[in-house]
Amino acid sequence: MINRTKSKNRLDKLFSPNSIAVVGASRDEKSVGYGIAKNLIEGCVFKCRYCMPFKGKIYLVNPKAGMILAKKCYHDISSIKEQIDLVIIAVPAAIVETIVRECAKLKVGGIIIISAGFAEIGEEGKNLQERIVSIASKSGIPIVGPNCLGIIRPSAGMNASFAPSVPPRGDVAFISQSGALADSIIDWAIESVYGFSAIISIGNQADLDISDFIEWLGEDKETKAIALYIEGIKDGRRFMEVTSRISRKKPIIVLKAGRTEKGQKAISSHTGSIAGSYKIYETAFSQSGVEIADNVEELFDLAKALANQPPCKKNSVAIVTNAGGPGVLCADFCESMGVNLAELKDSTIRKLDKSGKMHPAYSRHNPLDIVGDALPERYEAAINILLSEDYISGLIVIQTLQTMTDPVEDAKIIIRAKKRFKDKPIICTYMGGMFSREGWELLEKNGIPDYNDPKKAARAMKALIDKGKRGLK
Amino acid sequence: MKSKEKGKFQLSFNESVNILKKYSIQLPDSAIIKSKSEIQKYSNKIGYPLAMKIISGDVIHKSDAGGVETSIRDEKEAAEAYERILTAIKKNIPSADIRGVLAQKMFSGIEIIIGMKRDPQFGPVLLFGLGGIFVEVMKDVSMQIAPVNQSQAIGMIKKIRAISLLTGARGTKPANLTKIADIIVKVSRLSMKEIQIKEIDLNPVIVDGNDINIVDVRIVAEK
Repeated sequence: MINRTKSKNRLDKLFSPNSIAVVGASRDEKSVGYGIAKNLIEGCVFKCRYCMPFKGKIYLVNPKAGMILAKKCYHDISSIKEQIDLVIIAVPAAIVETIVRECAKLKVGGIIIISAGFAEIGEEGKNLQERIVSIASKSGIPIVGPNCLGIIRPSAGMNASFAPSVPPRGDVAFISQSGALADSIIDWAIESVYGFSAIISIGNQADLDISDFIEWLGEDKETKAIALYIEGIKDGRRFMEVTSRISRKKPIIVLKAGRTEKGQKAISSHTGSIAGSYKIYETAFSQSGVEIADNVEELFDLAKALANQPPCKKNSVAIVTNAGGPGVLCADFCESMGVNLAELKDSTIRKLDKSGKMHPAYSRHNPLDIVGDALPERYEAAINILLSEDYISGLIVIQTLQTMTDPVEDAKIIIRAKKRFKDKPIICTYMGGMFSREGWELLEKNGIPDYNDPKKAARAMKALIDKGKRGLK
Repeated sequence: MKSKEKGKFQLSFNESVNILKKYSIQLPDSAIIKSKSEIQKYSNKIGYPLAMKIISGDVIHKSDAGGVETSIRDEKEAAEAYERILTAIKKNIPSADIRGVLAQKMFSGIEIIIGMKRDPQFGPVLLFGLGGIFVEVMKDVSMQIAPVNQSQAIGMIKKIRAISLLTGARGTKPANLTKIADIIVKVSRLSMKEIQIKEIDLNPVIVDGNDINIVDVRIVAEK
């Protein structure tokens, strides 16, 4: 217990430091040391609307440079003479030990080691890595990495990494064993308006490992769901202990690489982790209440649904659609994934008939096809009638773009229904592109997940049914 | 006692039976017969039909060497089978150190396997599946990381695709799943305590309704 509290406090400085020093800040625009300095001073290298300068103090350390990005450089961290919460190290591996010794002497709050050239290169690197951890741990200083991208904390306006840009602020945390994957996710997240509470690249996990971060995120108020990209786990039993505990209050979703022999070989040359049998990992995940994603897209598809939607309490779901084809596809996907479509009762059909809003040829069964010419008011009647039924626990709303379709008005109706039926999940499938964008953006802004494909909607609903089985709220 | 990797070795049948017994995992009565005069004493006690197998660390492929006899119906056949096994082994593997002949009752029913493999990251992983081609060809097995309790063990059993074979499909006697789960739980308990044991294979375990018999066992330990 003591350990747990301690480890939470220990990590706080990594996510909300008041001051950051960059050791290895550089004038060379093509270097990592320049990228990190720029990310702190200006927010990012690739400018986007989510970039903001770090508001705390920034100290750049480089014995050879006078000024970088119009900021004074210090010869070494000892000459800063101020309290330093976080030190980011981006110097060649051989010098890292000396810097960490200095950090230990100055009792800094935490260290991120970006530099590579440690356990991943072999025995010599491994010994160096162990020495560094032992120096820092004697002073109780947590280390992220080495061989990592760093940490991004949008809510704190902190890009303590060499990631090219920053994602919108949101409620999904992403822990990645691949830094470069995180880079691309950020680019995609800006385009897709997908928000993150934190992005953490764990690198070699010499000191802090994936379980430490999951534990911290479990208590983090900004985070509602935790997405993981994993190649190999060192301490599988501790991972299970931590995730079993955290997954009871926050959804955890994982993408595990190394499902095949070739993939496992690639892992050992990438991070030096032992990939292990995928089947055993799968067993461990499902035993610990961790939702397994099949690919990168699904990882984030599920995370956004699980972060904001209540669980689907009973496996009994309805589909409303203004198009037959996508409704049929969605029914197929639901069935094959084990999502049960509720049989609509006669009393429900009577209510729909009586609403006076239905087309004479509407389907009268689930999927409820309300026909292509459905105006917002018809969607409204169908959605409200279905969600009022006790025997329906969740709803998938499909919208295709017809001449009379109003994506934004439909979105407003769905958002209102969401407020009225708080304990039932709604998932949307706005199929289309540019003319649907304003509508789905509005949905997403209001915490309603939207997917361009009925299969993804079915998969997300399955995850919400699982969430219910795990007893999450 | 063939060595697998460095430091790993397979326990003998008797050692295996003893460690299982410590965790109340019972194998059906069997006997190691060391002379012809012992046949009467043991075989009648065990019951027929009998199977007989050579016990020798030097005989790896027992059937190929003529070291296995099955469907033995009475004492007379048992004596003949015993002779045949010894003659065959002496002829085929003259240097073999023969410790005796194992006599076991033969069972009929559905073959299942219960196993454990110690994973370097996750520790003991319990495994359940139907025997024979279901495991080897169909890969129809379920796993659970130890410790496994009774309801998790039942869950493991029900997770295999061919579960209907155990629940009475096609007119077969439904298997007593609780009893199978008991064995899984006991193997889990054993593997949590005996950390020197790396692999356990109860294979086959023959299930006939309430009658569940562990016919063979293979345990790998590490020094």
